[in-house]
Amino acid sequence: MFGVMFATFFLIRLLPGDPALLLLGNMATPEAIVSLRERLGLNDSIWVQFVRYLDNVAHGDLGTSIFTSNPVLQDLLERAPATLELICWAMLATVIIGVAVAVTAVVRRGGAVDRASRIYGLAAGAIPDFWVALLLIYFLFYLLGVAPAPFGRIDALLPPPNRITGFYIIDSLLTGNWDAFISSAGRLVLPVLTLTIVNAGALMKLTRTVFGDVYRSDFIRHARASGLPESVIVRSALRNSLPPIITLVGFLFGFLLGAAVLVETLFAWGGLGQYAVQAVVNSDYPALQGFVLVAAAFILLVYMTVDILYEFADPRIKV
Amino acid sequence: MKAFFENVRRHFGLAAGIGFSLLAIQIIAIALAPYIAPYSPIDADPLSSLQPPSVAHWFGTDVSGMDILSRVIYATRINLLISVSSVIAAFIVGVPVGLLIGYYRNIFSNLIMRVFDFIQSFPVFVLGMALVSVLGQEVWNVAIVLGVLFIPMFARLIRAEVLSLRERPFISAARCSGASDLSIMFRHILPNALTPVIVQVSISIGMAILLTAGLSFIGAGVRMPTPEWGLMVGNGAQQMILGVWWVALFPGLAIVFSVLCFALLGDFAQAVTDPNAETIS
Repeated sequence: MFGVMFATFFLIRLLPGDPALLLLGNMATPEAIVSLRERLGLNDSIWVQFVRYLDNVAHGDLGTSIFTSNPVLQDLLERAPATLELICWAMLATVIIGVAVAVTAVVRRGGAVDRASRIYGLAAGAIPDFWVALLLIYFLFYLLGVAPAPFGRIDALLPPPNRITGFYIIDSLLTGNWDAFISSAGRLVLPVLTLTIVNAGALMKLTRTVFGDVYRSDFIRHARASGLPESVIVRSALRNSLPPIITLVGFLFGFLLGAAVLVETLFAWGGLGQYAVQAVVNSDYPALQGFVLVAAAFILLVYMTVDILYEFADPRIKV
Repeated sequence: MKAFFENVRRHFGLAAGIGFSLLAIQIIAIALAPYIAPYSPIDADPLSSLQPPSVAHWFGTDVSGMDILSRVIYATRINLLISVSSVIAAFIVGVPVGLLIGYYRNIFSNLIMRVFDFIQSFPVFVLGMALVSVLGQEVWNVAIVLGVLFIPMFARLIRAEVLSLRERPFISAARCSGASDLSIMFRHILPNALTPVIVQVSISIGMAILLTAGLSFIGAGVRMPTPEWGLMVGNGAQQMILGVWWVALFPGLAIVFSVLCFALLGDFAQAVTDPNAETIS
C-alpha cells in the first residue's frame, strides 16, 4: 500500500504543468500564482511534500477535485456503491454461468453445450466489452424495446431509495419501495449482461480444465464405482476444483473494475468508473489520483479475501 | 527441424487456417490501404453525414460524413502499429530482465520483482488510463504505456523458466567447461526458455488491441480524426441508441476479428510447441 501511494504521488508530480496555474486558470496574476504555490506547499522539497501527502491520506484527505470542487474522498464514497453494486451482480452472474456451463460441458462431453462452450470460450476473449454493450443496447433497447434506456441506475422520475447500504436493489427491498426495485433491477440487466458475457468466458475455460481433470481423477472413479449418485459426484469434484477458480474470481474483480470504467460511461451509471473518465477528460488529477489509489486498495482487499477463502475451500492450505 | 515441420503440419487445422487468413487480410489492409480504401480516411463531408451502408459507402458514413470502410482499413495500420510495437518493446525489455533476475538471485532482483508486483497490483486498464492521460494522448504514448504494462508479464514468464532450467545438468556442464555467465544465459538458457514467451507474444498483441481500443473509446487514447477502431466505436456510441448501428458495428467487428486472429495464432503456437496443450480444433 505504501508502494501504491508512493507511485500515485510521483505519477502526479510528473505531470507537465503547474497545479497552481491549473487551479487559478489562465487569467491568474503572477502574484496570485506565487501565493497559491506557497499555500499549497509546492515550494518545499519533494520529500517534504510526499510526507505531507502521506499524512493527509492517513487522515482521509485525498485532496480536492478540481472539477467538482468537492473533497475527492467524498466524491469517491458517494459513487462507490454504484460501482460495487454493478460489479457484485456481474461477478455473481459470471460465476453462476461460467461454472454451470463448464460443468455441463465436462459431464456431457461432446454434447452441444461442450461444443458451443469451446467456440464461446474462444470468442469471449476477443470481444470488446464496450462494443457488446452497444450491441445489447441496439438489439434489446432500440429494436425489441424489452430493456430500459441506458441512462443511469434508476428511472429519472423516481426518487432513489433511502440510502442504507447504497445498493439500490437491496435498499429498495428493505424500504419496501417496489417501483424503485423494479426500475433499478431493470437498469442493471444490460450492464450486468455485458460484463457477464465478456467475463464468463475466461472463468468457463479455466473451470472446464480444472474440473475436467478432477472429474476424471481416480477418487471420482472410485466414488462412481461405489455407486454414489451423479449429483454427489459432481459436487465433490467441484469442491476439489475450487482453489484455482477462487484465484481467477479474485483476478476478475480487478478486471471488472477496469471494465466498469467503460461500461459505466456507456450507461451513464454515475459510479467510480464514470468519475475516473470525467477526471481524465477534465485533467482533474487529484480525482484521478484518488481513483487509482482506491482501485489499488480495493484489489488488495480482494486478494486478501481470496487468501482467506482459500483456507475454507481447501483446509490443507494454511494462510 | 524436420520433426518441427511435421508437428506444424499435424496441428494446422481449421482454427490455424482461419488465424492465418485473418492475419493475411490485415497485412494486405496495412500494406495496400491507399489502393483499396475508396475514400480518404480523414476527409469529412458534412453533406453525406450518417448515411446507411450503400453501394457508394459499403459500411456507411459517420456523423461527420467520413467513409467508415476507408477508416476501418486505415485504422488497421494504427491499431497494429500500437499493439505490435508495444509488445515487441515489452519483449525486448522483459526477456533480458527476466533472464537476469532469474539467473542472479540477490537483493536487486528481489527489488525488481517487487516493482513488478506493484505494477501488476493495479487493474491494467485503470493504470493505462492514468498513465496515458499523464503522458499526453499521443499514439506513441499509448504504445509506450502498454509496453511498460506488459514488461512484468514477459519477465515473469522467462524468470519462471530460468529458475527451473538453471539447476539442470546441462547448465552445470556448460559452467564446468568454462562458459561465462553471459554465454550461459543467452546461449544455453534463453533458447530453452523462450517457448512460453512466444505463445504469450501472440496473446499479448490481442490484449494490446483491446486495451488501445478501450482507451480511445473513453477518450483517453488517440484522438480524432486519427482512424482507430476503438475511437470509431466511441463515435458511434450515441447514435446506437437512436438506431444508427453501422457507425459502431463495423470497427467493433474489426477489433473482434483482429483479436481472434492473434488468439488463434497463439493457440496454434501453443499446440506446435507443447504436445499436451488442450486446443480448440
